[in-house]
Amino acid sequence: MFDPGRPLTGVRVADLTMIWAGPYAAKILADQGAEVIKIESPRAWDNIRTLLPPPMALGEHWWNTNFYLHEYSRNKKSLTLDLAAAEGKQVLARLLPHCDVVLENYRTDVMDNLGLTYDWLREQKQDIIVVGMAGFGKTGPEKDAVGYGPIIEMMSGMTSTSGYGDDGVPYKSGISYGDPIAGIGAAAAVATALVQRQRTGKGQYIDLAQREVMSTMLGEFYMDWSMNKRLPEHMGTGHDWMAPHNVYPCVGDDDWIAICVRTDREWEGLKRAMGSPEWAERTEFSDQILRWEHRSELDELVGKWTATMSKTEAFAALHTEQIPSSPVWKMLEVLRDPHLKERGFYEPLRHPEVGIWSVHGWLWRADGAGPCILGPAPDFGQHNTEVLGGLLGLSEDEQSALEAAGVIASQPEGVPLASEMPPTPSML
Amino acid sequence: MSEHEQSQPEASRPYEGVRVLELAEGISGPFAGRWLAALGADVVKVERTAGDPSRAFGPWPDDLPDDETSGLFLYLNGDKRSVTLNLDTSDGREILRELAASAEIVIESFEPGFLAERGLGYDELSKDNSALVMISITPFGQTGPNANLPATELTLYAASGQMWLTGHPARQPLKNGGSQPSYQAGLNAFAALSAAYYGAVMHGQGSYIDLSMQETYAAMAEAFHNRASQLGIEAQRGGNFLNALWGVYELSDGYGGICALPRNYPGFARAVGLPELQDERFSDPPQRLVNNDELMAIMYGWFSGQTRQGLMELGIEHRVPFGFVATFEDLSNSEHLQGRDFFAQRDDEAAGSLTYPGRLWLSSGHDWKMGAAPKLGQHNVEIIHAELGYEREDLVRLRELDAI
Repeated sequence: MFDPGRPLTGVRVADLTMIWAGPYAAKILADQGAEVIKIESPRAWDNIRTLLPPPMALGEHWWNTNFYLHEYSRNKKSLTLDLAAAEGKQVLARLLPHCDVVLENYRTDVMDNLGLTYDWLREQKQDIIVVGMAGFGKTGPEKDAVGYGPIIEMMSGMTSTSGYGDDGVPYKSGISYGDPIAGIGAAAAVATALVQRQRTGKGQYIDLAQREVMSTMLGEFYMDWSMNKRLPEHMGTGHDWMAPHNVYPCVGDDDWIAICVRTDREWEGLKRAMGSPEWAERTEFSDQILRWEHRSELDELVGKWTATMSKTEAFAALHTEQIPSSPVWKMLEVLRDPHLKERGFYEPLRHPEVGIWSVHGWLWRADGAGPCILGPAPDFGQHNTEVLGGLLGLSEDEQSALEAAGVIASQPEGVPLASEMPPTPSML
Repeated sequence: MSEHEQSQPEASRPYEGVRVLELAEGISGPFAGRWLAALGADVVKVERTAGDPSRAFGPWPDDLPDDETSGLFLYLNGDKRSVTLNLDTSDGREILRELAASAEIVIESFEPGFLAERGLGYDELSKDNSALVMISITPFGQTGPNANLPATELTLYAASGQMWLTGHPARQPLKNGGSQPSYQAGLNAFAALSAAYYGAVMHGQGSYIDLSMQETYAAMAEAFHNRASQLGIEAQRGGNFLNALWGVYELSDGYGGICALPRNYPGFARAVGLPELQDERFSDPPQRLVNNDELMAIMYGWFSGQTRQGLMELGIEHRVPFGFVATFEDLSNSEHLQGRDFFAQRDDEAAGSLTYPGRLWLSSGHDWKMGAAPKLGQHNVEIIHAELGYEREDLVRLRELDAI
């Protein structure tokens, strides 16, 4: 039976990625039905497992339980394998014929250093699809530059576009924006290469530079530079023709609501939502151009209205009038957004060691799909036996030998149990 | 460099022969359609008779507004064919049904219910075309109390939780630049369509996909969301800094910064070269977090003496995650990006010489088309007359009825 939610069912991915961008890509592939085997070395595991130590990470086996790991690695399988060891590489060579895709987001030179060149990978599986996601790509004078999301964002042009406008300071996005964007791009690259393989019988090598994917989302700024040699001004929360167009303070602790008016019709609706105040009838607010010209004063007056109520009260009034608006949801609030709740965007995730919490489900929802979350992120090496014994047919003795040689493991090397650690400050 | 890195594009592109109907306006849907077109699909862009509103957004050469030279439109709509259809006329709807009958993919971004009310929903369009993949891209998705609430980039940034995280802690929340809620939705839609189309090829079975821009952006809250849901801890926006080694500093000639995880510290300390960085109060990860303010003061001083290019070179030499806030001038002139064929560079008939991102990735198996965007209704005759078989007199009648 075809499951419309999981069109990549039957695709197997050898996932060598770590931290954010790569695991985000692999998460999408796993959600879409691919069998994603997350491969980590007992000595060089996905850093995200241990980035936020207890007390941030709950659970005695905290490298399996921390919340950050589960953001990216639900629905995946875990295989440990030391790819720097000859035996590890031999196991990978046995695994690759069963795989369709190899995904990696190492520093540019690491795959070659490990001997895992495209040529070698292709020798193991002739039509393998390989996606490398180095920050700046595999060629060119900046190929050896390294960077996490905010560096990618800065180097893409994105950060130069953001700022309050009154101080000249560029601002990065709140998240490591470059990472998920590169991840989405890489998921598209995998699916596209699968489509092409289906047509030609051939695999391919894809060199996806994270910075380049991010930079494609800024086309109009490149055009303005091309056409007018003009660089973007920082707009803050304003707009070049809409007014009101801002965030307005509400009753509460640092609580805000975003309101935008695009047309005279919406302005009439906003006036009704505000209880038809007299000031709104003033000539200087009577059309879009005038409102934009008097936007500072207008912002102040709208802000006086919002400041008398909570952001949910303001939103209710604006929603009734169908005005583009939204509370500036905090993290704990977006989890409870009634709209997202009704759509079932957040789904429960259960981990045997720490219980249940909610994570986001489908990025997009195919009609007829069931729940997105099939299971939590796998424990370190949880599927060693299933993959090595089941899929590859290694005997118990062979698996024990690998374990004795430190090629596979069920615990990251040198990481103590939570109860054996002093409490540690977290970078978050 | 090994051979695969100098890609030898084959004649074939992955979506060659795939017919895409793009019933989408603005940025999100057209951004998805753009990549399908660049990779060989025949993307028929169905525009309202007044044209995609993005034709009315700049930038324009010399700031002269013109429907055929909008930089935004040209960027998003290369290599598509444009046909105008008024879906409020029965002829317009009939032509759309005929086009959909031969389509593999439909991208639409109307208000929820718009197409279904006109007999053009997925059920109708896929009736004799069960392998059809169709995506609806809307601010809040097809269901739920906000489904029909209009939205802007600003309100979506707020609704996704992203805005709460962006900006200076002592100031109001900030929106990041440009039209990111729309672009990220478009990129997600491209991923969704490529995966769903693969499923349709393999199983002969299409699907209907509901994509909410709020949800795709909310799914990028990284640690902040999961920490809130597992531990109940609220996030605070941090402005340009998470800590001393994760932030944007002022340099001598602009802005730049560092994003270092604990494992990057040794290389970082070597690259910077200040002896105090070897002190245990900074080199020991837990102590470093405790002494963050002191370290930050040191880094403010150090960064203020660096140049953007110098910082980049230092980062490359020591493999340290340094970078700078690049402008579109820097990027357009970047030897690195030009050498990687990142840009489409064309002399546009109407808009002049243009340089803009021309691909998402490099592949050993395909290249990317980087052609011109269509004029409004440029392919009406080719598609409605030559391909669907309407007579030329029909075209006249359709035009007079405001159907095309």
